[in-house]
Amino acid sequence: MNLYEYEAKRIFAEHGIPVPPSVTVTKPEEVRKIHLGYPIALKCQVLSGGRKKAGGVKFPKDLKEAESTAKELLQLTIGGSKTKCLLVEPALQIARELYLGVTLDRNQGCPIFIASAEGGIEIESSDKVLTMPIPYPFHPFVGRELAKQLGLTGSILVKVADIANKLYKLFESKDLDLAEINPLVITVGDDVVALDGKIIVNDDSLDRQKYFSGWKEDHLSDLSDREKRATMAGLNLVELDGNIGILCNGAGLTMATMDMVKAFGGQPGNFLDVGGGSDQKKTLQALEIVNENPKVEVILLNILGGITACDEVAGALVDFMEKYPQRKMVVRLRGNNQDKAEQVLSKSGLKLIPDLEAAVKDAVAKSNAKQAVGAKA
Amino acid sequence: MILVNKDTKVIVQGATGKMGSAHTKRMKEYGTRLVGGVTPGKGGETIHGLPVFDTVAEAVRETAATCSVIFVPPYLALDAGYEALNAGISLLVLITEGIPPQDTAKLVAAVKAKGARLIGPNCPGIITPGESLIGILPGSIFKSGPVGMVSKSGTLTYEIALALSDAGQGQSTCVGVGGDPIKGLDYPELLSLFDNDPQTEVIVLIGEIGGNAEEEAAEYIKKNIKKPVIGYIAGQTAPPGKRMGHAGAIISGGKGTAQSKIEAFEACGVKVAKTPAEVAQRVAEARKQLARA
Repeated sequence: MNLYEYEAKRIFAEHGIPVPPSVTVTKPEEVRKIHLGYPIALKCQVLSGGRKKAGGVKFPKDLKEAESTAKELLQLTIGGSKTKCLLVEPALQIARELYLGVTLDRNQGCPIFIASAEGGIEIESSDKVLTMPIPYPFHPFVGRELAKQLGLTGSILVKVADIANKLYKLFESKDLDLAEINPLVITVGDDVVALDGKIIVNDDSLDRQKYFSGWKEDHLSDLSDREKRATMAGLNLVELDGNIGILCNGAGLTMATMDMVKAFGGQPGNFLDVGGGSDQKKTLQALEIVNENPKVEVILLNILGGITACDEVAGALVDFMEKYPQRKMVVRLRGNNQDKAEQVLSKSGLKLIPDLEAAVKDAVAKSNAKQAVGAKA
Repeated sequence: MILVNKDTKVIVQGATGKMGSAHTKRMKEYGTRLVGGVTPGKGGETIHGLPVFDTVAEAVRETAATCSVIFVPPYLALDAGYEALNAGISLLVLITEGIPPQDTAKLVAAVKAKGARLIGPNCPGIITPGESLIGILPGSIFKSGPVGMVSKSGTLTYEIALALSDAGQGQSTCVGVGGDPIKGLDYPELLSLFDNDPQTEVIVLIGEIGGNAEEEAAEYIKKNIKKPVIGYIAGQTAPPGKRMGHAGAIISGGKGTAQSKIEAFEACGVKVAKTPAEVAQRVAEARKQLARA
């Protein structure tokens, strides 16, 4: 779960990391009540990246300019994410910018600091980045070592080390995937302040992080309506542009099925993993969500029943075909209770194709047939 | 075969839960040498004819088990893993999906410090066909033979095992390492175990998008592995920035694409199959070549 900058900074402040004084506004006239002095910074609150380049951060010189700028910024959509509100802060006198982040490193299997003596950069494409593993159990010397390696000295070294350690404690205690300060600024008065912040909360940890209870639905902005509903129903759906709806059990098999559709000349319309051991009800729900996508011409259902019982899936298919008899459907079922499934399916007139490649080819042929007719007309 | 055989003594943590109980029954029917279950507060009871213990330490004392398969809920998994390690278990098979990755990282560090091994989390487990099934894999799909398999996926592993078995290519051992970004055993150690295993002739590596473990495995194979390796990568049609079911299956910042992994494999002499059926064909070709040599 991605958080907005203003939420990230509020959490930073709660964990003792210095942030600029700030206010959020949702209406242009609200800037009249703000007394932070001028110039001020107005920052669009969006969940997407690339905000500065898209003109989502402005520094008006006086109240009049601030009000008109606020009006303009509040209507901005950046990278598909609508501006939720504006964060208003005083413009700081910056002497120097740094980058500081904590994340889990897949290769080393442990948390790491990522830091750079240059801030405000795109960290993924910079070569001036240093990483440092954070060993268990955590001790604050790691933050000091990091500040030292960044080439810092004196009181700045001590302040940055303290912020790094607080950032790690926050990362650990709130179950984050990423805690990032970019830039971390050193002001002309030698204060060290988090000027921008990004937090990604680990989705699997939300149920034990009471702090974020109820936040999820408000932070799914990059998902389509159907993807949101699938997420809330415990299904993994990613929509694509093609016309073959795909429904499988298991993430790897679902991806492999999409790849085969493409390899045999079809266009996958979605990724939908119903998960292991899905029953009749959950499978029906998944079928309905794929069916709602107007781009989908054919649904390819591919279940290899290990834990999942094929007859449960067949039961869902019979219910579904009663509701939507016109839907073009290709069914590949194999494994656990395959025989029973075949009996159940015979009621709906659906044929069961046990061979995966044969099923994929059949779905591709059915999806192309419709296009050819459309092209003639 | 690697890691497990018919003599491996296995306990089940979470044996009395819904999933744990169902799979305890299946594993027992398969012939796995299950020696007990562990559920706090249910010590003295039995499940599917097995004794239940309150703690792992007690179970190990009474049964001399060396392996534990763990079915506990996600937020209890770290504690269950620590308990197993502390009791002297040397192979942990962690089936649970949805464990907070920082918990997994802590467990992985503890496993390394103890010199033990962890398979998973979020994995189907391990099977040495005809000898021992530890986890949730459907036993009937797997046949004994010369192909060693390592995979990030569950059902895709079954699909490829099915294609192999249908083509008469049985398996020595199949290991599902799981789809999480932070995990225990990874490709290099398993590749090395298969390379040194007399039964294994050909190794099949099933990867997917996300991270760079496949790229690193390709380099490792080039430098260290003598046996032929057949690769398969899922997610060639996955869009960037979207998590494809598995927590680790995401292309981020242009990294972790199927293309990059396939190229890395091919550059290091690993033949890449495009479909599960093609994996079986490639394995057959590799074995023919070995027979000729």
